[in-house]
Amino acid sequence: MLTGINKVGDLEWEVPIGYVPDMRVPGRFFLSRTLAETLEEGAVRQLANVATLPGIVKHSLAMPDIHWGYGFPIGGVAAFDMTEGVISPGGVGFDINCGVRLITTPLTEADLARRKRDLVERLFDAVPTGVGGKSTMRISNKDLSAIMVDGARWAVEHGLGTEADLVRCEGEGAMPGADPDAVSAKARQRGVPQLGTLGAGNHFLEVQVAREIVDPEAAKVFGIAEGQVCFMVHCGSRGLGHQVATDYLRTLEGAHSKYGIRLPDRQLACAPVDSPEGRAYYGGMVSAANYAWANRQVIMHEARKVFAQLFGIEYDEMRLIYDVAHNVAKFERHDVDGVSTEVCVHRKGATRAFGPGAEGVPHEYAAVGQPVIIPGSMGTSSYLLHGTTAAMQKTWGSTCHGAGRVLSRSKAKKEVHGKELRERLAGEGILVRAHSDAALAEEAPDVYKPSGEVVRVVHEAGLSDIVARLEPLGVIKG
Amino acid sequence: MSFEELEHTADVLMRVRGATLNELFAEAGRAMFSVMYGPCEDRGVERRIEVEAENLESLLIDYLSELLFVTEVENTVFCTFDVEIRGTRLSAVLRGEPFDPARHSAGTVVKGISYFGLEIVKEEEGYVVEIIFDI
Repeated sequence: MLTGINKVGDLEWEVPIGYVPDMRVPGRFFLSRTLAETLEEGAVRQLANVATLPGIVKHSLAMPDIHWGYGFPIGGVAAFDMTEGVISPGGVGFDINCGVRLITTPLTEADLARRKRDLVERLFDAVPTGVGGKSTMRISNKDLSAIMVDGARWAVEHGLGTEADLVRCEGEGAMPGADPDAVSAKARQRGVPQLGTLGAGNHFLEVQVAREIVDPEAAKVFGIAEGQVCFMVHCGSRGLGHQVATDYLRTLEGAHSKYGIRLPDRQLACAPVDSPEGRAYYGGMVSAANYAWANRQVIMHEARKVFAQLFGIEYDEMRLIYDVAHNVAKFERHDVDGVSTEVCVHRKGATRAFGPGAEGVPHEYAAVGQPVIIPGSMGTSSYLLHGTTAAMQKTWGSTCHGAGRVLSRSKAKKEVHGKELRERLAGEGILVRAHSDAALAEEAPDVYKPSGEVVRVVHEAGLSDIVARLEPLGVIKG
Repeated sequence: MSFEELEHTADVLMRVRGATLNELFAEAGRAMFSVMYGPCEDRGVERRIEVEAENLESLLIDYLSELLFVTEVENTVFCTFDVEIRGTRLSAVLRGEPFDPARHSAGTVVKGISYFGLEIVKEEEGYVVEIIFDI
């Protein structure tokens, strides 16, 4: 482990006040010895930098997939007081409401058999992917305003899903407080042609099989069984969200000096939650987050149609388990020193993991806690977990979001050959479809930390409990 | 003029050099488009942009952000960037070709330009800057 950091639990570490100047609270992160081997000093410094921001409550936190980002570390979580505290685009990231949803089907692996290639090709045709991917939908600027307010509900009201889908989304597929007027014309221009597109990078649409059920009781509640074919959607708010983040990084960069906030990193530009600039960013960010929920809803709808047509199953037989956001800032009520208090929780590469009985968990899942979905990297397992009371107490109800890279893109391109990778995965029964082999190498499984280890740490630290492990069968790569 | 990709696990870190500020900015544009699309040719598409900011670092970020916006909404891929900077105002003529999925799909989406560690440094031979592109 790096020097200057104290072990405070089996898997818990503290970054003391003084690690960087002006820290207001200590930092705290969760990590195993294995994962500590790849911990970057820069990531810890970023965690400590967040602790210098005004109004931060209790700790600056990071999940076991912590790594070096900009502004907040990736895997960073921090809550801020609603009057003294700040809101920062650097605590959300450029891809506002990047998130994941998991859907079950009534099919088994045997049902896919010889039609797997056909399925993957049809999904690839149905969902626009990659750089330059444009939607076949035609939406107006008025539609876009409605999408930014209503999120997934807009899609359902336009025949792209069912009422039941909405109940099974974090926040029912939309956050309150959207302000479409706080979204620039540029962001709108980017948003109109991209609804229902996957994007690129680590985003994907994946056909999976529930290979292992770890918690049969919770699996029953979530409606997933061993051997069941599922699909998962991982994407965000596309160019609209990127533009909102870009616009407000600029606005807030000008604002922090006005409010006398000293920043250790320009990327931590922020404004008081309760200020005109802070409120405008929040309204814009919520609009982008809602767009992302509509986006994942549309993609799910298209994938359901492909499954229904190819396998002769009913649309309603494909049940959404849940949809989670892992890049977002939210106003939530949490226990602060025994008092239920509203705080502004930033999760940048971290997933909400509310425990049993917590407000906001769907009624049908209340006894277990909310489903938490952790996507694997291409060719590796993804996980379904549930939130816990310990997460409510320690991490503002948060857990990890994914594997976290260990190999840079430039090294990946040198060490991994896209075509060979595609053929190797095909040999393992995983069919991968992308616009180019070159883009595959950058997202090869070898470039990520083993997702199993990250998930094991959150499970053992009690931040969320594993319910099921899913293996990929077919990947539509963004 | 040159750019090289440095080690960065999460995103893309580029070191860009230019004999003059105009060249530095032009090269930064080339670096970003190489991440997004791979090879590109000048096939007669031309576009002009104007950007103004309060200092050079912000100008670089705003210029690259403007390029991200233009490439996305106009479906064009640019390969040459004639940049002219006066103080903290910039005008640039961009040349390239329409986006073609068959030839421009080797890269990845750049989501934004990070302020983290961004500093334009004057050296004996010219200027150098390291830029993190969020992918």
